[in-house]
Amino acid sequence: MNNLTPYIIRRGIQTILTIFLIIILNFFIINLAPGDPIRVIAGEFAFSNPEYVEALRKRWGLDKPVSERLFIYLNNLLHGDMGFSFRYMQPVAEVIGERILATLLLTFTSLILAFIIGVSLGVYSARRIGKPVDLALSFTMLLLYSMPVFWLGILLILFFGVHLRLFPIAGMFSSRVSYTGIFLVADVLWHMFLPVSTLTLAQLPIYYKITKASVIEQFNEDYVRTFKAYGLNREVIFKKYILRNAILPPITIFGLQLGFVLSGAALVEIIFGWPGMGRLLLDAAFYRDYPLLMGLYLVTAVSVALANLLTDLTYVFLDPRVKLR
Amino acid sequence: MNKRRIISLVLLLLISLTLVPTAYKKVSGEVEGPRLGGTLVIAHWGEPLSFNPDAQVDDAGYAIHSLIFNKLVTLDVDYNVIPDLAYKWEVSSDGLVYTFYLYDNVTWHDGEKFTAKDVKFTLEAIKKFKGVAYEDIKVENIDRIETPSDYVVKIYLKEPYAPFIQFLAWYGTFILPEHIYGNVTDWLDPNLPALQEPVGTGPFKLQEWVKGDHITLVANENFFRGRPYLDKIVFKIIPDATAALQSFLAGEADVLGHRPPLTEIPKLQETPGVIVQMEPVPSRWYMCFNMRHKPLDDVRVRKAIAMAINRSEIVEKAENGYGEVAEGTYTPAIAWAYNPNAKLPEYNPDEANRILNEAGYARGEDGFRFKLTYVSWQGPEEEAMGQIIKESLKKIGIDVEIKILEFSLWLEKVYKGDEFDFTVVDGFQGPDPANLRFRVTGETPQSLNLAHYKNEEVEKLFEEAEKIADTAERQKLYWRIQEILAEDLPYLPLVELIVFRIYKSEFHGFPWEEEARGKVGYNDYRLVWWEGGTPIEKPAATKPITDYTTAIVFVLVIVVVVAALFYVRKREKAVVEEEVAEETGIEEGEVE
Repeated sequence: MNNLTPYIIRRGIQTILTIFLIIILNFFIINLAPGDPIRVIAGEFAFSNPEYVEALRKRWGLDKPVSERLFIYLNNLLHGDMGFSFRYMQPVAEVIGERILATLLLTFTSLILAFIIGVSLGVYSARRIGKPVDLALSFTMLLLYSMPVFWLGILLILFFGVHLRLFPIAGMFSSRVSYTGIFLVADVLWHMFLPVSTLTLAQLPIYYKITKASVIEQFNEDYVRTFKAYGLNREVIFKKYILRNAILPPITIFGLQLGFVLSGAALVEIIFGWPGMGRLLLDAAFYRDYPLLMGLYLVTAVSVALANLLTDLTYVFLDPRVKLR
Repeated sequence: MNKRRIISLVLLLLISLTLVPTAYKKVSGEVEGPRLGGTLVIAHWGEPLSFNPDAQVDDAGYAIHSLIFNKLVTLDVDYNVIPDLAYKWEVSSDGLVYTFYLYDNVTWHDGEKFTAKDVKFTLEAIKKFKGVAYEDIKVENIDRIETPSDYVVKIYLKEPYAPFIQFLAWYGTFILPEHIYGNVTDWLDPNLPALQEPVGTGPFKLQEWVKGDHITLVANENFFRGRPYLDKIVFKIIPDATAALQSFLAGEADVLGHRPPLTEIPKLQETPGVIVQMEPVPSRWYMCFNMRHKPLDDVRVRKAIAMAINRSEIVEKAENGYGEVAEGTYTPAIAWAYNPNAKLPEYNPDEANRILNEAGYARGEDGFRFKLTYVSWQGPEEEAMGQIIKESLKKIGIDVEIKILEFSLWLEKVYKGDEFDFTVVDGFQGPDPANLRFRVTGETPQSLNLAHYKNEEVEKLFEEAEKIADTAERQKLYWRIQEILAEDLPYLPLVELIVFRIYKSEFHGFPWEEEARGKVGYNDYRLVWWEGGTPIEKPAATKPITDYTTAIVFVLVIVVVVAALFYVRKREKAVVEEEVAEETGIEEGEVE
C-alpha cells in the first residue's frame, strides 16, 4: 500500500476534471433547453404587463447573453457562491442545505438496511438452496424486483397508512403537535418508517441476488474443497474465507448506490411528501429555476464522483488482487 | 421450534397493532358552536415564493398571504367587494375620488400601529417596484394619494376607472408595513428578512416555515376584528395530488387543498365525516383558434368546428360530469355582466359539414379536408379534451394531431411562439369583466390573446366600459362585446368549471359556509371553528393529552419491536449452536 498516495492524487485530479466538465455541460443543457423561466415566474397571464416582465428579467440577470452568464456563474462558483434561486428567493446553497439532511436520512438509512438485510438473506438462502425457505425468498425478491418503486410505496401507504393507520404517510413531522427533544426524534423516526421501508424493499433484491450468487460460486472453489478435506470447521471456513470473498460484489453495488444518495429517492420523496432533494429537483425543473438546477446537479455530480472514488479505494483494501495503476 | 418463533412474532405484532389505534381519538356529532381552539391542517399544493405578497404572482402563497395580511377591501366567495381594513368607502360622482375609512384599532404583528400612511406607501410601492397589481389597478392612472387623517385615505384618479375597487380587492394589493419596507431599494431583495418572516395585520401570524414540509400560522390575539377561533393553521406542503388525497383520507389533513383526480370524487363523497362542497367559479375551459393560421382565419371554419364539438360530451368525459356546459362568451359566475343572449352555436355536425362544403374546403382522398394541430399542456383533463376534439373533428373531415407539452414548453411554443393551430386554456375571469380584455385584445405575450383576435369595436367598447361608473351602463357595453365574440368566435368556451371544497365535517365556518358567507374574504379562515374546541365562555383548554399518548405508544412499539428482534436473534444463535453440535456431514446447500 505504499504507492497509494500517488494513486489517490491521480484519481482526485480525474474526479475534479470530471466535475468541471459536468458543470460546463450542465450549464449549456439547462440554459439552452426550451422554456423561459421568466414566463413561468411571471405566472398568471392577466398580470403580464411588459414592465413587470422586464423588471423580472433584469432582476435575475436573464437579459445577458448565455456566454456572459456562464462566465459569471463560474466566477461565482470559484468564490464558493452557487447563486440565488429564482423560486425560493434564497441562496442556492441555503436551499439545498435545508433539504440535504432530510434526503440523506432516507437514503442512507435504507441503503444500509438494504445492504445488511439483503446480504444476510442472500447468505441465508445460499446455504439452504432448494429448500422451501430459499424458494419463498427467491420468489419474494423477484416480486419486489419487478415492482415499480412508486407502486410499492402506494401499496404500503394504502395498507399501513390509510387502512391500519399505523404510520403517517406524508411529511417529516406531525402537523398537529410540535414536539421537541426526544419526542421530535421519535416523531421523525415514525414518519421515516414507510418511505425507508419502501426504499429498502426496492433495493433488497439486488443485494440478495448478488450475494447469493457469489456465495454459491465460492462454495464451488477448489480452496473450499481443500479446506473441507483438511477437516476444518465449516463455520470457520464460511466466516473466514467464503464470506470475505463473497462480500466484494455487494460492496461494489453499495458503492454504486452510494452515488445516488442525493437524487435516487425522488419518486419516494414525492409520494411521501418528504421535503428532500429529489422533490426539490423536480420542482426546480418545472420552474426553470436555473441556478437551483445547476446547484443540484453540481452536488449530485460531486457525490457520484466521490462515491466512485471511495468504492475504488475500498476495493484496494478489501481485494489485494486489485493493482494500483 | 420454528412454529413457536412464528407464533410469538405474530402475537407481538398483534399486540403492537392493538396498541396504536388507541392513540387516535375522534370528535364527531352535533356540537353547538362556535368554539375556541384547535388546529386546522390543510394539505397544500405548493410552497410560497416569498412573504412579499405584492411583488410577484404567487398562487401557492396567495391562500397563506390572505391569512397574514389584509387589503383595503376584499372579495367574498361570491366576488362581492366587502370591507377589510376599510370599513366604509365612497366614490365621488365623477368616479375620480375614492375615499376609504379605516379601522382605527389595527396593529401590525410586531406591535406597531397601522395607519393610512401604510396604505399610501403600499400603493406607491406597487408603482415604484412594478408590483403584480401594476396593470390591474392601473397604478399610472392614480394622480395622487392623500391621508387627511391617520384613518382616512383619499385616492385621486386621473381618469375614471370603474373596476378599480374590484381589482383593489383581488390580487397583489395586500397592505404592507411602511416601517419594514419603507427604506428598501428593492422589495424583493433576497436579504430582506420580511420575505421569510412577514409582518402583517391579518388574523394569523407566521410561527414557522419548514421549507418543503409545512408552514404553521398561529392566531393573532390582537386581530382588530377579534381573535380567530382556531389556535393554529398548518399548511402541509404536498405537491402530489394523489399523495395529498391519501394523506387526507388517512386523517393527516383536515382540508384537501388540491383539486383531486375527478374519478376520486364519488369515493370522497361516500367517506363518512368528509364534506365535498361544489360550486361554480368564474373560471372556464376554452379553446383558442390561432387566427394567424389558415384556414382558421375563416370565421366559417371556426363556426363549423364549434358546431362539430359536443360540449356536453366534454363535460361528461373530460370533466367526469363535474362542470357546466359553456353556453355564452363570458362566465355566468359574474352574473351582472353575463349576457345570456350571446349564445354559442348549437351542436350540429351535419350543418358543420354543409358549411365547410359550401365554403369550398373539399375532402381529399383520405376523407380529410385539412389538418390541424392541437397543443396543450400535460394534464388528464387537457389530454381527454384533445381526444374528444380529435374524434369530433374527424367526423367533419378535419384531421387533428395532438401534441402534449410540459407547461413551460407550452408557454414557449404557444404563448410566446406560434406553433399551434388550437389549444385549450382555463383561468380566472373575475372579479370584473374588465379582466376579459386581457384575453381578447392586444398581442401575446403582453396579453393572453392567444387567438390573435383583432376587432377595433371590441377594443373601443372595453375602453369605454372602464370609464363608466354606472353598472347598468357598463353592462350594456359588456353585453355588446359578448355578442360580437359569439359572432366572430375567436374562442370557443367549453366548460364552466366548478370548485371542490373538501374538508372534515368536524370543522365549520369556512368562507363558503352559510354562517360565514359574505362576512369574510374567500380565503379568510378567521371564523372557522372546531367541534373539539372549548365553548367560548370557558377559557381555552390546554394541550390535549392524546398528543403525548401518541408519542408514548410509539416509543412502546419501538421497544416491543426491538425486544422481538433480540428474541429472534437469541433463538437463531441457539439454533446455529444446535446445528453445529449435531453436525454430521455436508449441508445440503453446499455442492460438492
